[in-house]
Amino acid sequence: MSNQKKRNFQIEAFKHRVVVDPKYADKTWQILERAIHQIYNQDASGLSFEELYRNAYNMVLHKFGEKLYTGFITTMTAHLREKAKLIEAAQGGSFLEELNKKWTEHNKALEMIRDILMYMDRTYIESTKKTHVHPMGLNLWRDNVVHFTKIHTRLLNTLLDLVQKERTGEVIDRGLMRNVTKMFMDLGESVYQDDFEKPFLEASSEFYKVESQEFIESCDCGDYLKKAEKRLTEEIDRVANYLDAKSEEKITSVVEREMIANHMQRLVHMENSGLVNMLLNDKYEDLGRMYNLFRRVTNGLVTVRDVMTSHLREMGKQLVTDPEKSKDPVEFVQRLLDERDKYDKIISTAFGNDKTFQNALNSSFEYFINLNARSPEFISLFIDDKLRKGLKGIGEEDVEVILDKVMMLFRYLQEKDVFEKYYKQHLAKRLLSGKTVSDDAERSLIVKLKTECGYQFTSKLEGMFTDMKTSEDTMRGFYGSHPELSEGPTLIVQVLTTGSWPTQPAVPCNLPAEVSVLCEKFRSYYLGTHTGRRLSWQTNMGTADIKAVFGKGQKHELNVSTFQMCVLMLFNNSDRLSYKEIEQATEIPSSDLKRCLQSLACVKGKNVLKKEPMSKDIGEEDSFVVNDKFTCKFYKVKIGTVVAQKETEPEKQETRQRVEEDRKPQIEAAIVRIMKSRKVLDHNNIIAEVTKQLQPRFLANPTEIKKRIESLIERDFLERDNTDRKLYRYLA
Amino acid sequence: MGISKDRIKFNVGGRLFETTSTTLANAGRDSFFGALFDDEWNLSPPEKDIFVDRNPDCFAVLLDLLRTGDLNVPTNIPERLLHREASFYGLLDHVRTAKWGPFDGNRLRLGDSVKGIAPGDGTAIRAGPDGGCCVAHGSVVHVLDWMLEEHCPINLDYQRVNDVGWIDSDNIVLSACERLGRGDGGMGLFSSSSGDLRYKFQVSHENQVKSYTAGALSFCPDYKIFASCKGRSNEYGIGVWDQITGKQTDFFYESPGWSLGDADKLQWLNGKNCLLVATLFPRKDNCYISLLDFRDKNMVWSWSDIGSPMAIDEKRVRDAIAMEDSNSICVVNEFEDLGFIDLRMYGGSVRWSSRSRLMKSKMPDEPCYPKLALHEGQLFSSMNDSISVFCGPDWVLTSRLRRSYGGSICDFSIGGDRLFALHSEENVFDVWETPPPPII
Repeated sequence: MSNQKKRNFQIEAFKHRVVVDPKYADKTWQILERAIHQIYNQDASGLSFEELYRNAYNMVLHKFGEKLYTGFITTMTAHLREKAKLIEAAQGGSFLEELNKKWTEHNKALEMIRDILMYMDRTYIESTKKTHVHPMGLNLWRDNVVHFTKIHTRLLNTLLDLVQKERTGEVIDRGLMRNVTKMFMDLGESVYQDDFEKPFLEASSEFYKVESQEFIESCDCGDYLKKAEKRLTEEIDRVANYLDAKSEEKITSVVEREMIANHMQRLVHMENSGLVNMLLNDKYEDLGRMYNLFRRVTNGLVTVRDVMTSHLREMGKQLVTDPEKSKDPVEFVQRLLDERDKYDKIISTAFGNDKTFQNALNSSFEYFINLNARSPEFISLFIDDKLRKGLKGIGEEDVEVILDKVMMLFRYLQEKDVFEKYYKQHLAKRLLSGKTVSDDAERSLIVKLKTECGYQFTSKLEGMFTDMKTSEDTMRGFYGSHPELSEGPTLIVQVLTTGSWPTQPAVPCNLPAEVSVLCEKFRSYYLGTHTGRRLSWQTNMGTADIKAVFGKGQKHELNVSTFQMCVLMLFNNSDRLSYKEIEQATEIPSSDLKRCLQSLACVKGKNVLKKEPMSKDIGEEDSFVVNDKFTCKFYKVKIGTVVAQKETEPEKQETRQRVEEDRKPQIEAAIVRIMKSRKVLDHNNIIAEVTKQLQPRFLANPTEIKKRIESLIERDFLERDNTDRKLYRYLA
Repeated sequence: MGISKDRIKFNVGGRLFETTSTTLANAGRDSFFGALFDDEWNLSPPEKDIFVDRNPDCFAVLLDLLRTGDLNVPTNIPERLLHREASFYGLLDHVRTAKWGPFDGNRLRLGDSVKGIAPGDGTAIRAGPDGGCCVAHGSVVHVLDWMLEEHCPINLDYQRVNDVGWIDSDNIVLSACERLGRGDGGMGLFSSSSGDLRYKFQVSHENQVKSYTAGALSFCPDYKIFASCKGRSNEYGIGVWDQITGKQTDFFYESPGWSLGDADKLQWLNGKNCLLVATLFPRKDNCYISLLDFRDKNMVWSWSDIGSPMAIDEKRVRDAIAMEDSNSICVVNEFEDLGFIDLRMYGGSVRWSSRSRLMKSKMPDEPCYPKLALHEGQLFSSMNDSISVFCGPDWVLTSRLRRSYGGSICDFSIGGDRLFALHSEENVFDVWETPPPPII
């Protein structure tokens, strides 16, 4: 030692810090690192959890958290790289199994490592906002194994291959598939979507494009739909078995697009098996399948609905415009009802009661029912038929059902006022002839009409019922005040309010003396109890029951019309009468008389008179005698009047004209109502509003509306604007 | 009966403990003990005991906590030691929940008194959502966690702090005065654990960023921050920011003759979807209380004492709090008289309760203004060195919390099932807690 060295003597600074092993951190980390290795080598049984936990805790406590964290990442990365190589080396079918095995191992190891590093996870990572151990482990697996270039595409191809195999009918290991897709899901939604789902959907799309092309060339529509449905359930099944539930919507939309949307038109219009064919043959199952499949794609149902609508309209048009088919009104309406029932059933069983389809059905019916101008008449006739005889022996509920169905057709009518006219006529006939089967049914129909069209529509119909009721009371009163009338003929009078009933010209006739005496008595009784009224006799509407004794003493009661009674009564006084004589004595108008004689003399089995010469038609020169040989096994004989059930051409014209006439004030009222609130309106708008307001009753004709406007202008309700001639002004 | 199979032995720092797996399962997954279980919560006990190199005394306390849910700390164990050990085992949350019970103003006990080092008078104290608190003194805010360990203090350019508030357990908003012409001050978002400034909120008027002084704060459940603001060129009003983006989303300008930008108190009313803004004497010569609806930028209700005749004993409103359940606003004057204003009537007057305690005679030298708080149907009012608790529909006085040390209470706050009261004379605050529920 030299002196020079001593000169550099220094006092060492006092060390405040406690000296710790400078290699402390490295040593501790080495212990942990070794443990991680052991865990990955499945040799963890010898490890002390407590020791490792304490070491990790100490590292964090001594501010070596960063070292611990990066160390854990590096070690795990190295291990995963090794695993990736092992997986890659696996050949053929064992590739997936190896991957799955390694993935399970990694998960187990990660769990253990997380437990050891729990303190770091909770404190160091929390405060430094780094990725926690478990998600970090997943990220490392993703980056080093799944995204490893030699594994990435191979894995995807293997998976897609398996799916393809299963689609072609082979059996695959679904459990393995589930594990692998589960791995993708665990790695995060984006990994599942990018690395598996997207390519899977693309491959599926390609597959179904080819397959659907094949099917459509070789199958009919029903079979194709069956196959498409099967494929769809298969895919849903696949998702449930080994894919993420969120994929269901995506894969089904692929199948829907490729198998249905792209071939929609072709399927629907397929010859001999398309939609029209299914509808015609009531193929509920196929229709239901089509509905369920087409519902899944945009515009699918619209397509089905459009085809159904056009088919319905075409079919309906034929039905209502075919002159053959409209010969019998009852059958005509029955056919409409059947058609509606058929489609109702299709919609309810196959189309799931879809509202839009119901609307399409309704609009189609509305369209074609109104193509035939006589539909209102026919519907009324149908009701008439049902209420006359058709409802006998049918329960109350069935009556309701039938009436409801008819009301459905009624709803489609645009010209409801025409229907009203006819209905009134038919109802009048039913009521007066006492032929209505059920009062309840009649009333229930009136109630239905009322709910459909309002009070106004049915007030007159109800008035008719009231008249019938009051007449009964009046008759009781009449006979009560004239007890002497119990002998001799019985007169039953129905007093009808003018206006409530369809107006018919009063046809006068000379009543037999016995009857006219009674009539006079009733007239004085009635006018005595009601002041300020006028009675006129509607003899053309009446009926009579007369007793007759024929040549060999056969006794019969004849049910005849008033006219017929007048004619028959003449034969009480003479055996033979010529047409001229009868006409003179009764003063019945000749057309009515002819009809009346025809029914008395020319109807087989009911010919109480004999005509000379024998022929079908009544001539002016004919003469009549009582048919003494008249026989009938019944005591009561009903002699009908030969009358066309359907209207004759002139009658039809007349009804039509009356309807038109009735519409005029309604149109005018509507115009005035609208103008009163609007004050000023242009021509087009007024037409639109009037049409809209009258729609529930009938479809107003624009030219008619225009005529009504002109008439109103003439009568100073409206005026044209001085500058703009298209504008109308309301004049208060 | 045989010996149950789920027994497990621990050797902790040389002392033997024996327990069962069901007891250990109470520790939960994210704990030292949770890691001993497998995925199905089965414990495969090792042949011999598990050695843990930790303090056995604390282990005994924590094991008892897992067994009973009760925390009983012997006097010879310092709290800090116990907390450290609980942190090792991952049982800190267990300790916290066992330490005090659900809040009830009538059962409060003084839990702790914390003396600080900050000079000057305290400005505000705010309870955090999980039992911590922050205390503002001058320009610095001290943050304490539920263990009452102090974290890094926070400041905004060392400007005078006007108000602070907790957005959640990790985020604190601080509002401060501006410094002339520097753009300092305003409002900032801080991390409660590290004290870092995370975000600085800006105010812009007509697309120009302006410096401003931020005052009273309030938050609402759909992630909005409200603050009263005073700008340079009379841009007074209430600013609104989004908690997630940090961007200013709205500004309610104060109208002439009214006061919003100087407010003492903001309170968000969830049911009414309105913000209560109260500016009170002596910040302004008059008191203004208003409810603002931000959806249609409307002042839907307002009250002021402008023009009302001075009462004999000069009752001036010193604090206000809206009580949505009873559709009224409770106010308090400097004599701790409670008054009520009906929210359903526009332009109603204060109905002072008759329970006036004439304390004029013995006012302390340095009076603190009374403050109000509402918590689950209990009304709290601070006056001088005590806090009164009122309950029931008629707000009957039911309890009074008082500690002689530290002088008047200048602010208090309830949150995280604790009540914090800050005293003005000495830098000390008290922590009041409800003891855990009784055993039976």
